[in-house]
Amino acid sequence: MAKVAMTVNGKAVALELEDRTLLVDALRDALGLTGTHVGCDSTQCGCCTVHLDGRSVKSCSMLAPQADGRAILTIEGLAGIEGPGSGDALHPVQQAFTECHALQCGFCTPGMIMAAAGLLAENPAPTEEEIVHALEGNLCRCTGYVNIVSAVQRAAELMRG
Amino acid sequence: MRKPVWPPLARERVHFVGQPVAAVIAESAAAAADAAELVQIEYRDLAPVTTLADALREGAPQLHAEAPGNLAFDFESGDAAAAEAAFAKAAHVSRLTLRSQRLVGNPMEPRACAASHDAGTAIYTIYTPTQGVNGMRGALSALTNVPRERLRIVAQDVGGSFGIRSPAYPEHAVVMAAAKRLGRPVKWVGTRSEVFLGDNQGRALELTGELALDATGRILALRWDHVANLGAYATPFGAWVGTRNLTVTMGGVYRIPVLYGRARCVYTNTAPVSAYRGAGRPDIAFAIERLIEYAAAEHGLDPIEFRRRNFVPAEAMPYKTANGTVYDSGDFAAVMDDALARAGHAGFAARRAEAAARGKLRGIGVAAYLEAAGAGAAPKDQVRGRFGADGFLTVWTLTQSGGQGHETTFAEIVASGLGVPIERVRIRASDPEADLVGSGVGGSRSLAGCGSACRVLADRIVEQARPFAAEALEAAPEDLEYARGAFTIKGTGRAIGLFALAERLAGPTPHPLDALGEGTFGATFPNGCHVAEVEIDPDTGATRIVRYTAVDDIGTVVSPALARGQVHGGVVQGAGQVFGEQAIYAPDSGQLLTASFADYPMPRAGIIERFDVHPHPVPTGTNVLGAKGVGESGCSGSLPALANAVLDALRPLGIATLDLPFTPARLWEAIAAARGRALSRRAHAPQV
Ligand code: FES
Ligand code: FES
Repeated sequence: MAKVAMTVNGKAVALELEDRTLLVDALRDALGLTGTHVGCDSTQCGCCTVHLDGRSVKSCSMLAPQADGRAILTIEGLAGIEGPGSGDALHPVQQAFTECHALQCGFCTPGMIMAAAGLLAENPAPTEEEIVHALEGNLCRCTGYVNIVSAVQRAAELMRG
Repeated sequence: MRKPVWPPLARERVHFVGQPVAAVIAESAAAAADAAELVQIEYRDLAPVTTLADALREGAPQLHAEAPGNLAFDFESGDAAAAEAAFAKAAHVSRLTLRSQRLVGNPMEPRACAASHDAGTAIYTIYTPTQGVNGMRGALSALTNVPRERLRIVAQDVGGSFGIRSPAYPEHAVVMAAAKRLGRPVKWVGTRSEVFLGDNQGRALELTGELALDATGRILALRWDHVANLGAYATPFGAWVGTRNLTVTMGGVYRIPVLYGRARCVYTNTAPVSAYRGAGRPDIAFAIERLIEYAAAEHGLDPIEFRRRNFVPAEAMPYKTANGTVYDSGDFAAVMDDALARAGHAGFAARRAEAAARGKLRGIGVAAYLEAAGAGAAPKDQVRGRFGADGFLTVWTLTQSGGQGHETTFAEIVASGLGVPIERVRIRASDPEADLVGSGVGGSRSLAGCGSACRVLADRIVEQARPFAAEALEAAPEDLEYARGAFTIKGTGRAIGLFALAERLAGPTPHPLDALGEGTFGATFPNGCHVAEVEIDPDTGATRIVRYTAVDDIGTVVSPALARGQVHGGVVQGAGQVFGEQAIYAPDSGQLLTASFADYPMPRAGIIERFDVHPHPVPTGTNVLGAKGVGESGCSGSLPALANAVLDALRPLGIATLDLPFTPARLWEAIAAARGRALSRRAHAPQV
């Protein structure tokens, strides 16, 4: 068993887990944060994308003990981190996904949003090509991606204010 | 039909790789996976058959004693003798075999279920993603022999369905049996590997078409010979895909005096095939529009004029096809003209020349498709409206949204019918307690069927409320008019709002204003014209979809943004099939070789560089909304439009046909072979 102490969505958590526990399983099963989805078993779909110390990672491709001492942000913690205080306000990427009808079934959406937020944190004004490149590791079966790409552009606009 | 039994866990023989053979129930998924490692099974290898050709070969290994020759079904539609006569007098004949390769549906949410069993009432409660609780109840009851009344199905958010979330699966039965035996809830959540191996798959059809033309380029007859790979077992929809859905619109948008289709359904050692986005309709649309384009090229006809000459004219509506299908409405020529104009078709030659100067092969592909939608399995569609104490109207439906947006579209229909704010209406699917009649999601019919029932519900509620409003206003019912959510005494300002009235009447259940919306709504024929433009790099075989224009007659549009989203998704799913997706089974071992996202290329962001979607509605009279359906039309348009575009780009090299998918490797090889032929022709040309 491994002891894992990390910050998840701004709160310190301490868990005792089997060594082999994947980060995504720790988030979903031990912490009940089921907004992070599992869409594959070969690290290719991106449904499980979260932020690790501010960078987007696939939480199915690392072990929970590797997150010891690190800060994790999941879709549940995204709202309200932009702008002061209000936990109700959607994050600009969430807002843009809503405005642009960038989700249908929604299963890929948490991962898409975390990947997009990760991109915009590094590159506030990405070109369409850069957006497409950044979403290379995130699969969506419903939307044809058209509105997802528009939503990322819109989110960039919202974040620039 | 010869239909062998499909046991939830294989007995004696395993018929396909991925068929469940044993189940382990444990306290955690990790513990179950560990225990599954301990299961030892000794298999004796039998020779597999994976392809249609193998299965139909003389002396081929037989899958099921019930189905000699591995044949489940031999089906025909239309007039064989009339077709024979028409071909005999044809000036031109074109013949083409097309394969719509086997696909894995791959909704992003893997299949899952959780079941519990109440020993007191003998009722099972089953949580599972589905396309409608009624269908799932029937399918599970048939699979398990548990009476429908003892099955309570709960479905909430469904992470994509595409047809393959409608049947019951072996895992459902196993989980139910385990829950009963253990007296505890049991859950199974599939992995992506299990999706690849164990979900029903899609397409897997071979379609051979023959077109008979007179000397002026009029179509005299069209004849099809289809072979459908059912996989190892017949799913409830497998044979439907391979027979009815391929033949019902086998003449497409064309006026063809003679139609004939034969279809054989064949068992192989592969995952069972079921409905997948379009369920045979995109396949036949693809085959028709490839054959039209191929015939035009073969006989030197302009493909656009060839189409125009043979369209069913708008004046001929309603039009009964030679095999008895009635198209109620459509204006195919106007839709095509709209699409060609928006796609800049007239200016294509210049774009091709510009691309050629850069060393690229540019092609344009047109597809005028039509598909049958709307017909449901249930005799009618019902929805139930309930007024709650919380001041909302809740509408219960049977169609389970898997991302189509029923929650807002249906709410909009009810709210606008009642003239109340949309926020006051809530849509809920699949009330396990409601005894509603109707179909689930499938055949692009939710709007035409369930949406129409919602429209009817609004009228019913107003009529039901009228006497109560009259009483409240102390007026005669006929003196009231209803508008903008309120009853008003004509010529006065005295009014009562619908929700105010509902509040006054609150108390008894059912609430006096609770109502049923219902109706029987007929088949519809969504159609459209898609134009695709591609650019192939001959050095790598990679294709860019540089421009895509979709003009669709989906009838009346209720939610433009959602309809556009459906077209986007459908077109890109078609693009996935055209450019990469394929489930390949090794012929010697029956192993699925493309069993992960690493081996099975899903379409990714940016696959279409410029994408324009435009509705061109010609409302239908077969339902109260005038809607035709949009869920699957994207695939029906994009398979042929994209395939025609690629072959248009390759035609100058002498390539007239090529099997899907057009992966870079396949295109590169075809281009290299064509250039090699050209080179060797040049080398052997006589010296002058
Ligand atoms: S679940 Fe992590 S990439 Fe698919
Ligand atoms: S919205 Fe369904 S997978 Fe992306």
